[in-house]
Amino acid sequence: MVVSTNSGTFDVTMPSEQEIRMTRLFDAPPQLVFEAMSKPEHVKRWWGRLGEGYSVPVCEIDLRPGGKWRFVNRHPKGEAVFYGEYREITPPSRIVFTEIFEPFPDSVSVVTATLTDEGGKTRFTATVRYPSLEV
Amino acid sequence: MPSDQLSTTFAALSDPTRRAILARLVSGECSVSELAEPFDMSMPAVSKHLRVLERAGLIARRRDAQWRRCRIEAGPLKEVADWTEHYRHIWEERLDRLDGYLRELKAKEKSHGRKHK
Repeated sequence: MVVSTNSGTFDVTMPSEQEIRMTRLFDAPPQLVFEAMSKPEHVKRWWGRLGEGYSVPVCEIDLRPGGKWRFVNRHPKGEAVFYGEYREITPPSRIVFTEIFEPFPDSVSVVTATLTDEGGKTRFTATVRYPSLEV
Repeated sequence: MPSDQLSTTFAALSDPTRRAILARLVSGECSVSELAEPFDMSMPAVSKHLRVLERAGLIARRRDAQWRRCRIEAGPLKEVADWTEHYRHIWEERLDRLDGYLRELKAKEKSHGRKHK
């Protein structure tokens, strides 16, 4: 099911009831996109909102399976902390990591990001699998 | 975000039979036996699914003479839709910013390659 499309470059689908998949085409090769996603000096520049009162004061990345990451978004009303662990890293085509929003430490989302070369451009796909309780 | 309610809703929606039951209820109230009809399933099995849906707040049941009638409740489904929309929005913004940043990086690479702009 396609939930939303935006100027042909951003698509959201729900492959299952517990997953959201987002794809986007970037006009840059996978190597560059991978670097922009995995090096703190790059991540700081795009991960959080930009502008007055917004910044990413903490951006820690231990890029190896089992390595931790932690990003802090500073905004005019305070800070939002996100953290997780890398599970799989295959440069420049795939990263799997967990993501936790600090106020909800029991809700662990698993994000699988894939980067595919499309004639010098990069098809980026992020599949977010969110937690569920057993019934 | 009330993550517990959401998790319960998602868990209830994770079963195809329960989704089929909800789909049936979209077109109107019906009795438990009417709901059981299309499924090759015992009444206790159907009742178990209905209990899960009821606990998640996705359906409401009421006794109407000797029949138990079920109807769909929109609240939790709206919460799922809101949550999805929220996540979509965060990612869309993030990826927009990444797109802008990549353009910047490419422009820099280009000007470095030429030494002078």
